[in-house]
Amino acid sequence: MTETAIIHPSKETGSAVDIVRVRKDFGSAVGVADVSLTIGKGEFVTLLGPSGCGKSTLLGMIAGFVTPTAGKIVVDGTDITDLEPYRRDIGMVFQSYALFPHMNVHDNIAFGLKMRRLPAAEVEKEVARAIAMMKLEGFEARRVRQLSGGQQQRVALARAIVIRPKVLLLDEPLSALDKNLRAQMQVELSELHRKTGLTTIFVTHDQGEALSLSDRIVVMNKGAVQQVAAPIELYRQPANGFVASFIGEINALPPGRCELKDGTASLVLPGVGPLVFPAVPASGFAPGRQVRAFLRPEHVRPVSAGAAGPNVVTGKVEAHIYQGSHTITRVVVEGIGLVETRVTGADIVASAPVGAPLALAFDLSEAVLLDAAA
Amino acid sequence: MIQKRPFFITFLAPAVLTAVILAAAIFEVLQYSVREFIPGSLNVGGFTFANFAALNKPIYWWVLADTFFISLLTAVFSLLASYPVAYALVRAKRDWVRSALVSLSITPLFTGEIVRTFSWMLTLGTDGFINSVLRKLGVIDMPIQLMYTRFGVVVALVQFSMPVMIILLATAIAHVDRDCERAAANLGASPSAVFWRVTLPLTLPGILSGIVVVFAWTMSAFSTPQLIGGGKILMISNLAYLQGFSVLNLPFAATLSLIALVCALGSLALMKGVTGRIERRLAVN
Amino acid sequence: MRSQKIGSIAFWSLVVALLTYMTLPTIVVLMTSVNPTEILAFPPQGVSFDWYVKAVTYPDFQIAFKNGLIVTACASTLALIVGSAFAWLIHHYEFRGRGLLEGVLWSPLIIPHFTLGFGFLLLGGAFGVQQGYVMIVLAHMVLVMPFVTRAVHVSLANIDPALARAAANLGASPFQVLTRVTLPLVVPGMAGGWLIAAVLSLTEFTASLYVTGSRTQTLPVAMYNYIREYADPTVSAISALLIIATTLIMLVADRTIGLRRVLAIDTH
Repeated sequence: MTETAIIHPSKETGSAVDIVRVRKDFGSAVGVADVSLTIGKGEFVTLLGPSGCGKSTLLGMIAGFVTPTAGKIVVDGTDITDLEPYRRDIGMVFQSYALFPHMNVHDNIAFGLKMRRLPAAEVEKEVARAIAMMKLEGFEARRVRQLSGGQQQRVALARAIVIRPKVLLLDEPLSALDKNLRAQMQVELSELHRKTGLTTIFVTHDQGEALSLSDRIVVMNKGAVQQVAAPIELYRQPANGFVASFIGEINALPPGRCELKDGTASLVLPGVGPLVFPAVPASGFAPGRQVRAFLRPEHVRPVSAGAAGPNVVTGKVEAHIYQGSHTITRVVVEGIGLVETRVTGADIVASAPVGAPLALAFDLSEAVLLDAAA
Repeated sequence: MIQKRPFFITFLAPAVLTAVILAAAIFEVLQYSVREFIPGSLNVGGFTFANFAALNKPIYWWVLADTFFISLLTAVFSLLASYPVAYALVRAKRDWVRSALVSLSITPLFTGEIVRTFSWMLTLGTDGFINSVLRKLGVIDMPIQLMYTRFGVVVALVQFSMPVMIILLATAIAHVDRDCERAAANLGASPSAVFWRVTLPLTLPGILSGIVVVFAWTMSAFSTPQLIGGGKILMISNLAYLQGFSVLNLPFAATLSLIALVCALGSLALMKGVTGRIERRLAVN
Repeated sequence: MRSQKIGSIAFWSLVVALLTYMTLPTIVVLMTSVNPTEILAFPPQGVSFDWYVKAVTYPDFQIAFKNGLIVTACASTLALIVGSAFAWLIHHYEFRGRGLLEGVLWSPLIIPHFTLGFGFLLLGGAFGVQQGYVMIVLAHMVLVMPFVTRAVHVSLANIDPALARAAANLGASPFQVLTRVTLPLVVPGMAGGWLIAAVLSLTEFTASLYVTGSRTQTLPVAMYNYIREYADPTVSAISALLIIATTLIMLVADRTIGLRRVLAIDTH
């Protein structure tokens, strides 16, 4: 298979990129604050965070467009901190794609190879291979402005991987595409990564993309790394309140005290009473500790009015947000505040109209406990 | 009733009147160019094409050729001299550097032909600045002839045209997508390769319009060849002035003025055609 | 990294050299204008303002300056009124003959000034008002009008069209929209266009050489006539005054309304 020919030994051991206490100050403002990160060979790592969190600056430093104030960046064991961008052998797909408008598809893809002074025959072979891999046959002579968004994206990818980079950087490459195409390109990106085994660093502010594509996700905020974890762990065990509320929807309960009596663990909320855990939580729980519990809307279940139980509270429906496959219902519970519940379908809109009381059952088996001070 | 086009007539009338006056002035030139010259009189005779036929003399062809040659030299040197300044003006990192560059390169545009030409006379003259400095430094014993030479005229014309060239180039450079340059660097292009293979080709439309605008502009230059050329360098404008005010041959002066107008319009039409094609090929913007 | 530094130094040296070339004549004029001797000597032998005194007391220059001010005031103000109305017109309406009208009114940017000046000279002759103020003002107005039109047109294009609709929706008549919404928003563009027009008119030479007579000559024409007769630094002093005046006007224009915007040099 020619397609698999552009391959780096997949998932080799050893690190591809070491970011060591890298810092970037913009005047007195901090762009990136002492970030350290090790990325393994062949790994797909996503830098995720809201705009202005420093993820693009960090990517720019890896590519060499931004000079770090302090720290070093090592790729394949070589310190590249002071290396000019054009000597780095790092592929990059830009948010705007940055395809050369004065060149056709073929010349765009061939550019990096020509810069490396490869023999012409070699250039043709490699370009043909990249074109086949990105399914761009027949578009070689097209001007880039004549291409659709998805095609431009593939040209940008082909141009970046044809130079056989040590690392592939993707700067929000899906943000310019419409929703359907974005889903399609996510699949293609994932496939490309599997085929090439390229160490990939992906920057996005879209948690959906991050969760579906990454081996590991680096959540950033205000220039600092908040958590580095695999997608499932990140969703189920967020390290702090920022990560918890940034990844998916989550209800933050007011601070309470942990209690352990006769093997039964509970969380005592002032003014509400104890919420009982089905089992002693594996992390974050210590008797007497002040914690906040975070609970996903899918773990809050509406129950019939009369239902009794330890973890049932009653509030007043404030609004329904109908989303097609499911409905988010906002309920104001005295002593807790706003609680969101997520149920399939739209029946709840009729059964619990706005203003009506609604009983909710908390499933604390999936609750995340974080220190109340954090 | 709804007034469909408020102010239409009110705003249109003065514009139309102005256009009519302007057209009448140009029409007068056209009209005189096909009138018979009566020597010794400012009055003109009947309809004739003799003025156009009279153009076909080697001396006039030389003047025309020299006008073209000087304009072309000016356009090319203006481009070479303006590109670095325009590039610096757009890309300088510090705000005050950019502002200073804009001021320094644009203000000469507003000091007027006479002041600028006179300044160059002082600079290029036999006892002028350049000769004085070179003699003080012992580089030369005898003053070098800069006034009344084609070289002197082009040196002054290039300086005159630079502000316009810089404006056009700066606009083109400012429109270059910086990500394209970053992408080229990322793909292994050295800074010089980035410039020659990406930045320069992307500013080609600006370069072309700069060359043609300066070319057309220089073709109608008058005071610089008049004063710095001092009659030794004749461009079409100087010839027309000479015919009109010294020979008092108004019809022939009109013919030459008309030729200059046609040349200016022609170069502009050429620019529209060429840049249009290039822009379509580049699909820039 | 070192080669990059050397390249950067070389580039900036080149830029400085080119800027020196651009500004050298101006510096030379300023130097000679304060030089006490009649012979244009470098370096200057001292500092004296005698030439300035001679320049401002020279009758020809005084008359020419007055002429120039009259012409400039009339021409640039007329250009402002007609040009602004025209800019508004082409911004709002499509109409038959618009292309032709635009072609004619933009054409002074391309037509050689000596052709235009000659045309107005002949036109004046045809109406018996040769070398009178009317023809000079008309010629100048036509020459500077494209700059006003452009400045106002750029300002109009930067106005959100929804503003006029919002005003109309709130009950403003077309006249009220024009005077209460559009006009206040284009005043900076109009002021900038007017300043540029005034400076260009004040310093215009070639067309003026054709349309002015000995009694109606403007300052640049008077300077030209002086240069041909004499070779003393009086003209340096006048030039220096003009350079200082135009630079100040342009600085004011830049500070108050943003010259770069009016000239449409967008570097960012």
